[in-house]
Amino acid sequence: MTGSVHALIQGVVLGILTGGVYALMASGQTLIFGIMKVVNLAQGALVILAAYLSYTLFTSFGLDPLLTIPLTTVIMFGLGVVIQLVFLRPLKREDSAQLSLLVTFAVALLLEGFMSVVWKTTYRSTNTDYANSSWTFWGIQFTVVRVVAFVLSLVALGLLFLLLNRTKFGRAVRATVQNPMSAELLGVESKRVAALGFGLGAATAAAAGSVYGLLYPFNSGSHYDLISELLSIVVLGGLGSVGGAVIAALIVSTSSAVVATVFSPTWSSFTFFVILILVLLVRPQGLFGTVERGAL
Amino acid sequence: MSKANRWRRSAMVAATSAAVLLLASACAGTASSTATGGAGSSSGSPAPSSTAPLVIGASVSLTGDFADSGKAVKAGYELWADEVNKKGGILGRQVQMKIVDDTSSPTQVVTNYQNLITQDKVDLVFGPFSSLLTIPASQVAKRYGYAFLEPAGGGPKVFAQKLDNLFFVQPAPVVKSGDVFADWVLSLPAADQPKTAAYAELDDPFSAPIAENIRARFEAAGIKTVYQQVYPAETRDLSPIMTKVAAANPDVLVSGTQSEDAYSQVKSLVQLKFSPKFMYMSNGANSPVEFPSKVGAANVNGIMSAADWYPGSPAPTSPAFVAAYTAKYGGSETDIDPSSAEAFSAGQLLEAVAAKTGKIDNATIISSLHQGSWPTLVGNLSWDAIGQPTGSFSLIQWINQKLVPVYPADVSKATPVYPKPNWGG
Amino acid sequence: MSIRSLVRGGVFVAALMALPLLGFEHWVLNLMIFTLMYAAMSSAWNLVGGFAGYPSLGHAAFFGLGAYFVGLWFQHHAVVTGYEPFLVLPIAGLIAAVVGFPIAWIAMRTRADVFAIVTITLLFVAQTLAFNLDSLTGGAQGLAMPTPPFELARFEWPFYYAMLWILLASMGITYLSMRSKVGLSLDAIRADEDKALGVGVHVQGVKVLSFSISVALVAMAGGVWAYYETFTYPQFAFDPIITIGMVLMCFLGGRGTLWGPVIGAFILVPGQQYLAYRLGGSQFYLIAYAGVFLLIMLLMPRGILPTIADRVRRRRAIAASSEGPPPADASPPTAGPGSNVPVPSGGAA
Repeated sequence: MTGSVHALIQGVVLGILTGGVYALMASGQTLIFGIMKVVNLAQGALVILAAYLSYTLFTSFGLDPLLTIPLTTVIMFGLGVVIQLVFLRPLKREDSAQLSLLVTFAVALLLEGFMSVVWKTTYRSTNTDYANSSWTFWGIQFTVVRVVAFVLSLVALGLLFLLLNRTKFGRAVRATVQNPMSAELLGVESKRVAALGFGLGAATAAAAGSVYGLLYPFNSGSHYDLISELLSIVVLGGLGSVGGAVIAALIVSTSSAVVATVFSPTWSSFTFFVILILVLLVRPQGLFGTVERGAL
Repeated sequence: MSKANRWRRSAMVAATSAAVLLLASACAGTASSTATGGAGSSSGSPAPSSTAPLVIGASVSLTGDFADSGKAVKAGYELWADEVNKKGGILGRQVQMKIVDDTSSPTQVVTNYQNLITQDKVDLVFGPFSSLLTIPASQVAKRYGYAFLEPAGGGPKVFAQKLDNLFFVQPAPVVKSGDVFADWVLSLPAADQPKTAAYAELDDPFSAPIAENIRARFEAAGIKTVYQQVYPAETRDLSPIMTKVAAANPDVLVSGTQSEDAYSQVKSLVQLKFSPKFMYMSNGANSPVEFPSKVGAANVNGIMSAADWYPGSPAPTSPAFVAAYTAKYGGSETDIDPSSAEAFSAGQLLEAVAAKTGKIDNATIISSLHQGSWPTLVGNLSWDAIGQPTGSFSLIQWINQKLVPVYPADVSKATPVYPKPNWGG
Repeated sequence: MSIRSLVRGGVFVAALMALPLLGFEHWVLNLMIFTLMYAAMSSAWNLVGGFAGYPSLGHAAFFGLGAYFVGLWFQHHAVVTGYEPFLVLPIAGLIAAVVGFPIAWIAMRTRADVFAIVTITLLFVAQTLAFNLDSLTGGAQGLAMPTPPFELARFEWPFYYAMLWILLASMGITYLSMRSKVGLSLDAIRADEDKALGVGVHVQGVKVLSFSISVALVAMAGGVWAYYETFTYPQFAFDPIITIGMVLMCFLGGRGTLWGPVIGAFILVPGQQYLAYRLGGSQFYLIAYAGVFLLIMLLMPRGILPTIADRVRRRRAIAASSEGPPPADASPPTAGPGSNVPVPSGGAA
């Protein structure tokens, strides 16, 4: 009896720690949707690319993946802006929702192809000297990497929150999310916001990627697994809601960790989908989404 | 209907029929140049001339999920072709490998073998990488009467097809690759044998069945199962499972693993500070370079795995193979993927058949390989009627951070170490 | 018009019907089987994704359903002549439609982009089920199909004609729905769903119906595919790449048109399979593929047919206006069924 309680607590701890990382990844995804109404299928590939970047900086130059985050953030931001300008901006407004799905998917394929040429397809993982250490409190295990990842995700999310709430750019972004038309009327340059916003979404992938590389082995194809989970999270949270994405990430990752520890890991990924379907049955717009129907 | 629409319609039809015509004319060209093709075009008719090159087709995954192993298989095939050509080819015919990419897709693999056999009319074919692609490919080969030497598809369902043209070029079917570990454990004095066992198994055709096979042997011998768990391929995080393994405190942990899950299992166990007395991993732990680099060199000692070819293998042709490999591709002996050795062995079998019978055609290869025992890099191979090899793998163990064969006696270079040293020891 | 289009359709059908009789080699028929399969599935996808504007990314779930249905059926039934698997295809289609109906009912209450995500989720659910219900599906070990007993010389024929029939059914349904009230309703839904609802289109019914028919056709193609491959695994039968193939071909040829998906498939499938065979050794295959994909999206966002048709219409209009008053029918395509120029949807404004 105590054994299963113990497993349950361990599962919850694991889920919350992992949930932080997912929250970070999903916040970029949902931000991009909020600003541009683009479901970015390349977000997973961007995370993996960032993971490769910090992996290479670590293996070639011995730089700790946590210390290189500012550098990779700048790179990913730039890449995000370029992707928006080259591939998304030219799309015609009337079709952009459907087309952007396909365009971002093609971008994901492009990144995957690029990564498999540069880094091959063997699984990599960023093996720091603290990768195998852990702390134990009251019989519950806290691995150092996970705790670090969780804290880091909180910091990154905090910075994102400050950026969105305390800066002029942030106000422009939030105005665009709420109502693009009136934002434009109020003098927000929506095109610029879109490019910078996409860059910002991609930039969250930098921190997420370095953490991801610490936690899991990955290869160029890993973005497929990632993207389906990220999509479930952002839909669950309500498309465009950053707060919703964070909460949804915690719900989803805790419940799947609990299912994995208490029942069976075979059904753990399934919990993602079950929760999603249940929520959509009751609230088609997601937990924190606003109702928006009809034309895209 | 408007004129514009009408035009649009004819444009569509025009474009479609143009596409059909284009395709058709392209095909007609090849169709007329070569009369019938199909069954036995290579095996039925006598060899065109003794100097015509011997073309061998193979489809491997150069992109997609299986790409890295696919490339290792390709390296093995091409290395063998180079080597045999240096010796004057097979029966005086230079060997030409025609290797195409199946993008790890079952649809493409069927197209590729169809194309190799009926369009390019290759003389012989070799298999692709992975059981998943081997099955559809072997059916195409069977239909046209081609011998199907395949170094990388040994899952149970491959043999369930009961094909007489198929030969798996490894010492034993995949499910039996772990039997050597069971053999060794059960050969220990009763007092030393483990009493309890845990099993953590990756849900794929080549991993879980290995562990299940060992479990059946262990349970029959009275070793109690205290934990058993199958996990899906997308499980990135094995700490929940390893937590339960540690809680069950087994004497032996048998892991049916591929690669990254093996690393993840070891890392979790190190974090949990749980080190079982015996530890066997079906795959992942047998890679000389990746494994220590992924889990830390200090953590490898005592872990066991199975292998057919490994650095320092006692096979007579191994030194020459290693020399040729490093000359062609660089690196050192420990960089060689066993898949390359298995692919190379498929070629060695052709050489042996040609040397023995003086012929090299599909019918001869099929009938010859069903009899006798054939020396290769991966051991002496022989097959039953449905292509299952009847030999056994070697048990290897990490001793002093080196991978060493320890069982059975004829390949052993060191005494197995047990109980397994603690992590970092 | 109807006679001419009948003639064109007739020529197309006759050419494809006759193809196996012309003595082509096996590899050509093999390529044609996959081409027809994708043409059929892309046409079917077009019913939902092209006409109704709901981009389903989960059609491969039904492809896999069909594949597994055929495999499982023949775990319990014997194959004697080899044609039995083709005979159970309608059952596979029916099951897919029945399964698809409630799913569409739930998912189509949401917006098109949420719909896309829900359907791709459905795909992963289906794949997980195929893996996990291993006592039923064989799980990761895969599922063996009956081995087709056909003679070598005509081995590919039954598969070829089965795929052809599914394609013709798909195109037939598309053609009929374009010429009926259903087609108009779908057009209206894509243009502006709220307005369509306002003017009395039974929006939900029409959408859900087209989804059910669409997935039924895809499931049948999946059944034929699995039988041809002789074996299937969850990751192959429920593969996102299969959905992407359908979508891409439909977009390439021109979505919302009768012939667009077919043209897309006839260009992409042979191109892809042949390129992978000939040049696959190069590692840049994926990059090149993605590059072409992006170019198409950026240069011809509406697909080949509508883009060409547009260009020609514009040229004609110019020619006509220099000669005299423009013909009435060059006006914007509010006109008839088969009007495949997307109506700009300024609905949100």
